[in-house]
Amino acid sequence: MSASTVPPADWLAAATAARAEGFTFCEWLAAVDEIGRPGGRDVLRVLLVLRHLERPTQTRVLATELDRDAPRLASLRTLFAGAGWHEREAGEMFGVEFVGGDARRLLLAAEFEGTPMRKDEVLGARSGSPWPGAKEPGESDASPSRRRMVPPGVPEAEVWGDRDPAAPAPGPAEVAGSAVGGRARRRRTR
Amino acid sequence: MSGPASGHGSIRLVEQNCTSCMVCARECPSWCITIDSHTEPVPDLPAGARERTRNVLDRFEIDWSLCMYCGICVEECPFDALAWEPAHTDAAPSALVLRHGIDELTR
Repeated sequence: MSASTVPPADWLAAATAARAEGFTFCEWLAAVDEIGRPGGRDVLRVLLVLRHLERPTQTRVLATELDRDAPRLASLRTLFAGAGWHEREAGEMFGVEFVGGDARRLLLAAEFEGTPMRKDEVLGARSGSPWPGAKEPGESDASPSRRRMVPPGVPEAEVWGDRDPAAPAPGPAEVAGSAVGGRARRRRTR
Repeated sequence: MSGPASGHGSIRLVEQNCTSCMVCARECPSWCITIDSHTEPVPDLPAGARERTRNVLDRFEIDWSLCMYCGICVEECPFDALAWEPAHTDAAPSALVLRHGIDELTR
């Protein structure tokens, strides 16, 4: 199931064409933050999975890549009413604006600030609470020594938290790349 | 696959398989698994063999008030020491009672 990537401007037209070909069932729409992974880029990828109802094994996957700083995309809800639900979720979780879509929140509380599924979203409360995985096998207390383990979602303290106040604020790629968890690495740059 | 077919009610610890490797505690997205262990010399080594140590599990705790039953620990355990259990965890009057240790998890 490989996705055909279209420019954001062609999103609605590509979905309309797929629907005309018989892919009339909107199965799934979601976003992926591509930042911070090896070879990752500064984009949000939006994916749409359509299914052919008469040939149910056939799917059509459309993808598009959005600028992380201003992610805007045409809504598909006039084409597939059910896509509106997925767009509301992707919208609030990744901060994507679906033009012509339903901007109401679906899952998040009204007062919640942030875009929790973006990879540079720091789980702040976690950086202040002890992580059960910090211990090594054979330990009952986390030793502050050696090659420290850090949990996913919490950037290394040198990047976020204990960062030198005089240093410039960390960029999204630096925060996301630092929050993947595992062995705390030595600073690669600077 | 040990999934819904065999029941998804809770997670059972197979204590003799656990090597205290910490993989489950590190993979758990809800941070609900707590493990304490220590190392002991392996007894009864052949004469002249280099001294070796093994991990001994002291505490294995799942906090059911935090667990979201995602099963990642069951999938990730390299030693099949965690398994789906059809029976559900009993309701409890307080969240503290939902911290189950080795005794409850191997029952």
